[in-house]
Amino acid sequence: MSSVKTILIIDDDEDFQASIGAFLESEGYRVVRAGSGREGLAKLRECEPDAILLDIMMETMHEGYGVAFTIKHQPEYERFQDVPLIMLSSIRENPDQRFQRAEGIDLIRPDRYLAKPVDLDVLLATLAKALQRA
Amino acid sequence: MDGSFDRRADGGDVSGTSIVVIDDDYAMGLSCRKILAKSGYAVEVFEDGTKGLEAVLSRRPDLVVVDLKMPGISGMDVISRVHAADPDMVMVVITGYPTIGSAVEAIKAGAFDFLPKPFTPDELRLVVTRALGQRRLLLQSHRLELERQMLKRRFMTFVSHQLKSPLVAIRQYMDVLLRLEGAEAAAGQREEWLSRSRARCDQLVHLIEDWLTLSRAEFSELGQRRDPLDLRKMLAEVVDACEPQAELRQVSLDLTLPDGGLTVGGEAGWVGVLFTNLVENAIKYNRTGGRVSVAARMDRGDVCVAVTDTGRGIPEECRSLVFEEFFRVSDHGGQAPSGTGLGLAITRKIVTQLGGTINLESEVGVGSTFTVRLPLLSPESASPAGSEPEEALG
Repeated sequence: MSSVKTILIIDDDEDFQASIGAFLESEGYRVVRAGSGREGLAKLRECEPDAILLDIMMETMHEGYGVAFTIKHQPEYERFQDVPLIMLSSIRENPDQRFQRAEGIDLIRPDRYLAKPVDLDVLLATLAKALQRA
Repeated sequence: MDGSFDRRADGGDVSGTSIVVIDDDYAMGLSCRKILAKSGYAVEVFEDGTKGLEAVLSRRPDLVVVDLKMPGISGMDVISRVHAADPDMVMVVITGYPTIGSAVEAIKAGAFDFLPKPFTPDELRLVVTRALGQRRLLLQSHRLELERQMLKRRFMTFVSHQLKSPLVAIRQYMDVLLRLEGAEAAAGQREEWLSRSRARCDQLVHLIEDWLTLSRAEFSELGQRRDPLDLRKMLAEVVDACEPQAELRQVSLDLTLPDGGLTVGGEAGWVGVLFTNLVENAIKYNRTGGRVSVAARMDRGDVCVAVTDTGRGIPEECRSLVFEEFFRVSDHGGQAPSGTGLGLAITRKIVTQLGGTINLESEVGVGSTFTVRLPLLSPESASPAGSEPEEALG
């Protein structure tokens, strides 16, 4: 197994991709970028990432939740179920609060939720911990 | 489950929870039934909108899932009619074009949520679970207040996201630049990142300006002011002012005016904004070497001004949505659109405040024409003399 870890970033903001992607590369990660949920799911199969950074609000308000749901519960994506999933949003309201009344919350709860802008040290620590566990 | 849940759905037990699915696509309806029946719901499927509507109104199920696009009675009609008859009915819309515009439209008409096609069984189950949660809430609390708050909250969430995104992008560039200072990797990118940051600053400034303009158009006296305005002169000025942009994009710009006076009632600043928006859009979304024609004519006592471009055109399913706040026609050419998504919302707001209409005709690959129709000003409908000193002094 290669020691270089691959991170898949699914985010429709090209600038966020550029800065965070370059930062993670400078930290020795291999970065794969996807600009939409659909592209993210396609790249997921191609690049077999060690962790996923997933933005919630892309072209539609809940696109990221749809992607998370697909990864965690669709049979075709079964082998990616345990890939650490870190969800990102500029809205400081994590999914537990956002859907507190919904019964489906357990189905879309990410491994970790980070608010944007992301603190670089927190991001590194989160990834390191997630990769250790995986 | 605790007893605070609705008596009808009996806590967490879904048996007895009824769902009506209305979809002209029979296979789709059957799949929905199969998925939902597996979760224990009692599901009825209707291919015909009218029959589905009758069933909903007579049986009052806990949830209605309806396709937005159907022959005959449309999903939007079903929603409005069910909502009018029973505001407590929770409805989920299946839509082929997932946009904030159609979502807002459907939610305004009474839907709780929407499900963009194609969707997975789990996406359907998630939306249904949430909608049924909403049904319980509706039945036990102040329904209207909740709906209003939800739409507002959803909209506010969306607006905050739009406002925060540029700031987040800039902030992350700064973080990474500071962190990688001196590193080889960052040196080559420094200039590009700074220039991207500047572009995102500009984007935010424009967004705030447009947002403010939209609110002003809503709350200013724009709706009442009817100063006589010489549209011939105004259009010539607008075209003149847009000439440099057109030249820059290598787009030719021409103006056709009919003989005789073209006087409309309004406030000069706003009417200027209205036509400037349209002409600027026509230039911005044009092809290099394209053409923009502005043509005014009289029609049955109204003044019609048509602004025609030779751009990519607007797909049919987007045409009724382009005037919605933040709606963007997604760009399949790969290049990100540079607008704020508010320009046409501002334009429509001004036109309606002036008592006019705006209409769009478009052909993909050929171009689009926006036609503004404003009532010609008759002398007696002008604002009372004296409200504007310049007019009185002439």
